This record gives sequence, structure tokens and C-alpha cells, in this order.
Amino acid sequence: MDVLASLAQGFEVAFTPTNLLFVLIGVTLGQLIGALPGIGPSAGMALLLPVTFGLEPVTALVMLAGIMYGGMYGGTLTSVLVNVPGEAASVMTAVDGNQLARKGRAGQALAVAAIGSFIAGVGAVIALVFLTPALSAFALRFSAPEYFLLALLGITATASLGTGSPVKAMIGAVLGLMIALVGTDPIQGTERLTFGSLDLMEGIDFLPVAIGIFGIAEIFASMEEPQNMQPVKTRLKDMWLTAKDWAECRMAILRGGLIGFVIGLMPGAGPTVASLLAYVVEKKASRHPERFGHGALDGVAAAESANNSAAHGAMVPMLALGIPGSASTAVLLAALVLLGIRPGPMLLTEQADLVWGLIASMFIGNVILLIMNLPMAPLFASVLRIPYSYLVPGILIISLVGAYAVSLSLFNVGLTLAFGVIGYLMIRADIPRAPLVLAVVLAQLMETSLRQSLMLSEGSLSIFVERPLSAVLALLVIGSLALPVVNVLLARRAARRAGVDRLVSHSSD
Amino acid sequence: MTAVHARPILSHRLKHAALAALGIGVTVGLALAAAPAALHAQTAPTGPIEITTGTSPGGTPDVLMRRAAKILNEQKIITNPLVVQNRTGGSWMVAANFVLGRPGDKNIVLCIAQPILTTPITQGLPTIYDKLTPISMFIQGDLVLVVQPSSTVQNLKDLVALAGQRERSVKVAGAQSGSTDHMVAGLVEKAGKVKLNYVPFDGGGAAQAAFLGGNVEMMTLTPSEALPLVKSGKARIIAILASERRTDPELKDIPTAKEQGYDIVWGQAWGLAGPPGLDAGTVKFWDDAIAKLVANPEWQASLKENFLRSKMVPASEVKAHLAKLHEEHLALLRDLGLAKQPAVQ
Repeated sequence: MDVLASLAQGFEVAFTPTNLLFVLIGVTLGQLIGALPGIGPSAGMALLLPVTFGLEPVTALVMLAGIMYGGMYGGTLTSVLVNVPGEAASVMTAVDGNQLARKGRAGQALAVAAIGSFIAGVGAVIALVFLTPALSAFALRFSAPEYFLLALLGITATASLGTGSPVKAMIGAVLGLMIALVGTDPIQGTERLTFGSLDLMEGIDFLPVAIGIFGIAEIFASMEEPQNMQPVKTRLKDMWLTAKDWAECRMAILRGGLIGFVIGLMPGAGPTVASLLAYVVEKKASRHPERFGHGALDGVAAAESANNSAAHGAMVPMLALGIPGSASTAVLLAALVLLGIRPGPMLLTEQADLVWGLIASMFIGNVILLIMNLPMAPLFASVLRIPYSYLVPGILIISLVGAYAVSLSLFNVGLTLAFGVIGYLMIRADIPRAPLVLAVVLAQLMETSLRQSLMLSEGSLSIFVERPLSAVLALLVIGSLALPVVNVLLARRAARRAGVDRLVSHSSD
Repeated sequence: MTAVHARPILSHRLKHAALAALGIGVTVGLALAAAPAALHAQTAPTGPIEITTGTSPGGTPDVLMRRAAKILNEQKIITNPLVVQNRTGGSWMVAANFVLGRPGDKNIVLCIAQPILTTPITQGLPTIYDKLTPISMFIQGDLVLVVQPSSTVQNLKDLVALAGQRERSVKVAGAQSGSTDHMVAGLVEKAGKVKLNYVPFDGGGAAQAAFLGGNVEMMTLTPSEALPLVKSGKARIIAILASERRTDPELKDIPTAKEQGYDIVWGQAWGLAGPPGLDAGTVKFWDDAIAKLVANPEWQASLKENFLRSKMVPASEVKAHLAKLHEEHLALLRDLGLAKQPAVQ
């Protein structure tokens, strides 16, 4: 087969010692960069752009791509261990992963994240090999109306996050939407709610919100409860996955990987949306949805598989059309330009060696990352055996340096601390925090695409049902809103019937 | 992925007069470079030098500055390590203010791109370009208009006729409000006396996705973005917005808007400026370095690959050049209703 021949050729390119070395360097750096909050994979790749000068284009690309998906593995670490998401796509991992860590199951969470990322990553690369041209046409059918409905689906889905009432989750989401309103209006370009502050002109970045609301708030809350600050006492050998754990997560990985890849394809969505939707779908599909939010291993598996396959899926529009599907692929495109290669629809045919070498290197990179992460999971998890009082200063430093690194400004550090206080109040009020953080991420996509849709349709709402894909998404949104209501009604009726039954049985004796 | 693939690029209107001025500028510049010691002795800063940009990594100005830094260092034109730093936020205002806050600092320069001029205009902030110490504008690029390959529109006349049938019926995708794309759409509206439906997207990449998905009729692209699309049958170029036809074989058959009877001339330009009160010796150091860069065949070849040009507007000319650009942007943004009255200086 033609494709297989090209792939074999790609492996030939990827298996040269130099390229192997640079894949290893790339994924190791990605792992580190992903773990550090603040420096996301795209910023890390950009920092290393000058290093790639003078390298062969293919060598440079395999290294940079390694940082991209290596970051998806690395982001898990801080999310699980200290509840500070290393990058946006790890927010959902933090929700359940950190709960697992508190129960002494950090090792399992990290291991399942590594295995899930690996399976989903390799699956996504296989899809990339066989389906890139076909998928790129599919990706282009998504435009403003579809993105709006997708973001709306994400927001409604956050209602099912958290363990308390959906109303509280929606309060969190609305707070997030309000935070996202600050900044420059995406269509008119006018300022709103910035109070003349330049720092607020481009809005509030996601990272100060996430680091503050998750990581810093956790530290504040823990100061109230010194008795909870006992280190986790787990032996190394108890930190491996059991057969039961694995059985629980198999399907989660498959579902998460598939959802992640499809969403990663779309040039407007990204790993964050992918991991959120995968998590919510998993909660619906799971046999024990009540565990979600309290430490569900399959929740971690779904979210982590999804974000890694989404990172790979974003390569489809980049390779087939020259359109960046994410911040990271934008840097990859920039690297191509710097190396003197013009990206675009002809890339696949004109630079076959480069493209197939890159694709082959992603198989190799994922294997390296699995080897790196799986045996290390218990070791990393052992960090939690350090008493919390010693860990706190370290967490604070990593968090605040991360916030500073976002735009090299102290303003974001102050913002992070302020959101720490908000997060603490939310813990006290029992308002789930993930909806707020996710709403901040989704709000911009939702607002911009709604307004773009209405501009494209010259004001008519029919654009959301005329296009086949948006009609399907609209049905999903309506379904996700109606289902809980129907469930409540059904439960009531069942309760009433049970009540009647009981009455009947009472009367009979 | 905000602003990553945005095109925050400095556009300028090369009218005939402007072009003539530029030509003279280049000649004078070269003459000055030939007799440098006569005016100022150049003094090289010590230690690493930061080139501040306001885009995320991968944005056009970022890529250009990284490439310039690479060649300047590799060719030993500048031996101080050059570090490109992305200080994003506030549509370049964070980067600009960072440099404005370091008067006289010899170890920092700011990449000049369109938002340095336009953000103060659209946000009603005090102007920035006149507070910096200008060094040079040395990269220029052209723009082309593309339509869907299946479209009945073959040239600008067809486009204007189509848009004239019903107001806002022709949809145009582009980057953020106030961007180059938006200003070009405004110029088309003005020249054709029509009203377009401009839909801003989160950067040029997202706009291109919307165009390729067939959601809009037209968009503005750079030649290096447009040619691969044309080659694969995904777009048709109807006009280049340069003052005269390009001579490159790939571009020589594209008629200018002017030829087609519409006075739409708009391009892009990038350069460097130092912090306020930068000493003449350091300016001279940069002026000489950029003259050598512009003369470097590797640099010229790397720009040519992307259909960009590198003509130097030297330090002695650049102040007037920037002031002129500012006036042109202000006038156009006012026409588009996007200008807030600039604060009284």
C-alpha cells in the first residue's frame, strides 16, 4: 500500500541516530515543560526555536513536536500531585487525579494517565497516517456555528461536574463567564471592564485563574486543617495498577481517545475542550458516576487520553492545509517557515520525507514517553510522602513563577493570589471550581463564534440548524439540558409509584 | 490560541509620493552608511540584547525577528547574543510599555509592527511611535485579495458589482477588528463605494480556515499564504495591492488593484526602534548592522522565499516615515469608525 510504503520511508528517516536523539530530547523537555505551570508546550517550543537553527528540518520538527505531545504527558504530574494544572488541558485531570492522590492512589492515577495517553496517542497517529486528507476536509466543515454549539455543550456539561448541586456548578460557570468578559471585545475591538488598565486589555489569562483557584486555594484551605496535612503513607509496591483498575479504565481510554482526536481535528477547539467533553461523556457512561469528582480513575484516564489524542489530531489541519489547530501547531508552522519550508496544502506531497519522518517519530516518541512515565509513576507519587508543610513552599514557588512566566509580568502574580482567595471562598461555599476555570477557557470561543455565526447569517438563528453538523450539535445541547430534567421527573414518578406500592402493601396487612 | 497566527503587521500605503520618498530615503541612507564616522561614531552595547516583540511565538513579526537575529549573529554582524522575547498582552502595548519604561537602555530594542501605531489609535491611548528612538524599517510585504475558486468573481470589478447588489451580502473573513485585513476591507469598501460584511476571526489562521470551509466569499492574504492555496485549487487571486506588479515569476501575472481602476494600495512593514533617549552611538550601531543585514544575500534569499522585500529606511529617515504611516493609519481607521480620538499630548 502506498501509505505504508511512505510510512516505512518515514521510519527510515526517524530511526537515524540524530533524529532518535532529538525525539528523546524533545519528549524529555516536553515532559518537564508540561509539568511546570506557566510554561505551556507552545511557549516551551518557542523558547527552543533558536536551538533548531542549523538542524535538518526534519530533526528540528521531530524535536518540537516531541515537546508538544510530551507536554500532554507532563501536565499530568503537577495536576495529580499538587492540584496545580501544568497547562489548560490538565484541568480535568486535576479534578479527580488530586482526589486520588489524597487517597494514596497517585501512583495509579499517574500510571493510568501514561497508559491512556500512550494508547490514545498511538491511535491518533495511526488515524493520522491513513486518514489525513479525508479528515482535513471534515475539519473544515466546522466553522463558527459549530464552535459555538460545541462551546455551549461544554458549558452545559460543566453543570454535571462537581459533587454537589448542578445549580452550584452553574454558579461557578457563570462566574467564569464573567471573568472572561474582561478585556477587549473580540469583534468590535473595544475595551470592556478593564478600568483603563493595560494589563487587563487582553483579558484575564487562563493560567493565573487555574493556578490560583486550584493550587493556591488548596494551600489556603489546608492551613485551616493542620490535621489533614499528614503525608500519604503508601509503600512503593502499592502504587501499581491492579487488574481491576485496568479493567475499569480500558473503555474510558478508548472513548476518551476517540473524542479527543475528533475535537483535536477542528482548528478552533483544542485539547482543553477535548478533555472536558471526554470526562463528561465518561461520567455518563460510567457504572459509578458518583465517584467522579471524588477520585475516579476512569475520569483521569478519559481526560488524559483525550488531551493527548487531541494534540495529535491538531496535526491534521496543520499538515494537510497549513492551518494551525492549536497554539503548539502554530509554533510548528512558524518553525517550518523559519526553516525555509512553505506550509500549505502541498506540504504532504512536496515534503513527503519531512511529513512522514515526523509522523513516524511520533510513534517512537510516544513509546519513549510511556517507558519514561510508567516506571516513574510510583517514584513521582512518592513526592507526596514528604510532609505537606515542607511541600507548600515549593508548590507556592512553582505556582507563582508559572504565573509570572505567562507574560513576564508581576500583574499576573497578584492576579493568581487574588484568585487563590476566590478559590478558597469557593471551597468554603462548596461551589465546584472546575466549572469556573473551564468557563474562562470556553467563554471566548463561545462568544466569538456566536457573534461570527450571526454575522455570517446576517442575523438569522437558522444558521444553527441549517448546517448538518450544527443541527446534530444543537440536538446534543438540547439533550444535555433536557436529560437531567427528564431524569428528575422519572425519579419522582418512580418514587411516587414506590410510595403508592408501599401504601398498598401497608394497607394489605 | 489567541493571536498566535494573528497578523499584527505594520501596513503602509505606498502611494507614488511615498514610494519616491522611500527611494530617496534608501539612496540617502546608503550614502550615510558609506561615511559613518563623519556623523557619529558607533558604540556597540555590551552583553546580550533583547529584541522585544508583542506577538506570541510563531506570529509573523516574531518569526521575522528571530530570523534577523539568527543572521545578525551567525554572520557576526552583531556579536552580542540577540534574544527575541515575547512580551504579549494589550495588543503590543505591554511590549511597547516595557521598552518605554527603559529610557536610554542600550540592551533592548522593540520590534515595530502595525499595532504599535494602531492600538493607540483604536484604544484612544497616547501615541507610542514618537516616544521611541526609531532605528529602521527594513522589511516590507505585499497583500493579495483572494476569492473562492468556484466564485463567479474574476476581478475587482466583478467583486464590486456583486457587493453592490445588496449591502453586506459579500462576506469577508479576516483577523481581529482594526487589523490589516480589516483596513484592507475598508479600503475596498471606500474605493468601490460598497458595503462588505467583515467577520473578524481570532487571527489569520482561523480566518483562513473559515475561508477554506467556504463560509465567506473573500479574504486578504500575503502572497506566501495565497500561492499554495491557488496551486491546490482552493483559492483564486483577483488583485495584488502593491503600487506596481511584482516581478517574481509566480506573481507577475497578478494585476494590481490600481490597474483595475481601484486605488487600493496597502502593504506591510516591520522594523526596529530603541527606547526613548537612546544615544546616537547605539542608533548608529544598529543602523550599520541593519544596512549589512539588508545587504546580506542569505537574508534577502530568506525573505524572497516568502515574497517579502527588504529595503532599508535608515535612522535618519525613519522618524518622518513613521509619522507619515501614523497619519495614514489614523485617517483610514477614522474612516472605518475605529479610531478613538487620540489623547491630547
